[in-house]
Amino acid sequence: MTCQELRDSYELYSLGLLDGEERREVEAHLGRNCVVCQAYLKEALGVNALMLSQAHEVVPPSRLRRRVLSSVGQQRAGWEWVAALMTAGSLIFALWLSLEKRTADRELSNARLTLEQTVAERNQLEQAFALLNQPETRQVNFGQGQTAPPRGNFFLNPRLGVLLIASNLPALPAGKTYEMWVIPKGGAPRPAGLFQSGTQGTAMHILSGAVDANVTMAVTIEPESGSPAPTSSVLFTAGF
Amino acid sequence: MLARLIPFSLALALLQVSLRFKDEGDLARRLKARDGGAMRELYDRYGRLVYSLILRMVRNSAAAEDLVQETFLRVWNRMQGFDQERGALGPWVLTVARNRAIDYLRSADGKISAGTLELDQLEHPGKFCDFEDRALSLDRARRIKEAFEKLTPNQKTVVELAYYEGLSQSEMAERLQQPLGTVKTWVRSALKALREQLTEAAAV
Repeated sequence: MTCQELRDSYELYSLGLLDGEERREVEAHLGRNCVVCQAYLKEALGVNALMLSQAHEVVPPSRLRRRVLSSVGQQRAGWEWVAALMTAGSLIFALWLSLEKRTADRELSNARLTLEQTVAERNQLEQAFALLNQPETRQVNFGQGQTAPPRGNFFLNPRLGVLLIASNLPALPAGKTYEMWVIPKGGAPRPAGLFQSGTQGTAMHILSGAVDANVTMAVTIEPESGSPAPTSSVLFTAGF
Repeated sequence: MLARLIPFSLALALLQVSLRFKDEGDLARRLKARDGGAMRELYDRYGRLVYSLILRMVRNSAAAEDLVQETFLRVWNRMQGFDQERGALGPWVLTVARNRAIDYLRSADGKISAGTLELDQLEHPGKFCDFEDRALSLDRARRIKEAFEKLTPNQKTVVELAYYEGLSQSEMAERLQQPLGTVKTWVRSALKALREQLTEAAAV
């Protein structure tokens, strides 16, 4: 067939609707890069495009635009809220984790403190037992016969130190502490450590290290940071 | 006065056409560069045409939405084969859309892969080059609509069966229970009338 005879076939050909023999004829012409047929093909494609643009116009739903753009990765297809929700969720979770961690840290810190206190108390008790268990340890008591007095005992071991066990201690004013003193014969009082009382006014305090055998022990109430010398009247005292 | 106005309006029209096509070439270039903004622009420009065409063909809005998505995805994925200097996006996009709908109609009829490969070759972006600047202009659209209106009922029927239902001439003959020769005559005369209307318009 001539190019001219094929001219009416290009629309159907480019729509994929040309039957066997005619299609082969068209393809043969196009395969030879026939300029005339190439031009007919363009013309046919133009007619087809115009015909396809003739459909009664219908407005597509707006979600379709989001869907199309989303499918090529250009829009989040209305999933922004999910991302926002996930971000918010992550933030809340992180905040919760941080609060949980803070609580756990606080509890851990409290537990450590309790453990340290328990260990310190146990060490103090062990020291106290060791001191009490020595045959050369001597004991003097104080507060006997006084009305509502602080009462208790000093135990002195010249090698190990002095142990104080007291009860009925007066409540401490705010910012104050008890301070123990060692007063050598004919000498000035030397600081022998600070201590607090328990809820019932009881206390145990140890001065570790060698001590003269004939010292006098005393306790006063001092500022929280302690004093190098007594600043208040003696609460109780006992001499060895 | 008129003599002065005509050249001015003509120049304005030419300027608009050249601006539109410069714009289209730029759009194609940006699409090839995977610019998301360009995809939005492409959809805004052709989305309604594509949806209308596909819905007209498959007559099912859910399927039409799927096929519109497929169309734009295919265009996006095949953009590298498109010539931004000489290509015509509109005719290509519409052809891809029609072929998606035809594929759907054929698979619904149980002709799953019949002609799929052929359609694939026929919509290659490289084929949509060197179109007239006014490929889808309003003027040409109006002219082809007028030409279509002038066709006989039988010619209109076969044209619609070809464009919107994807029937070959032998399938049309079977559907219409007419001799193949008669159908071929209707088809060729109809297409010739449509083509000539456009050619005349171009010659004016």
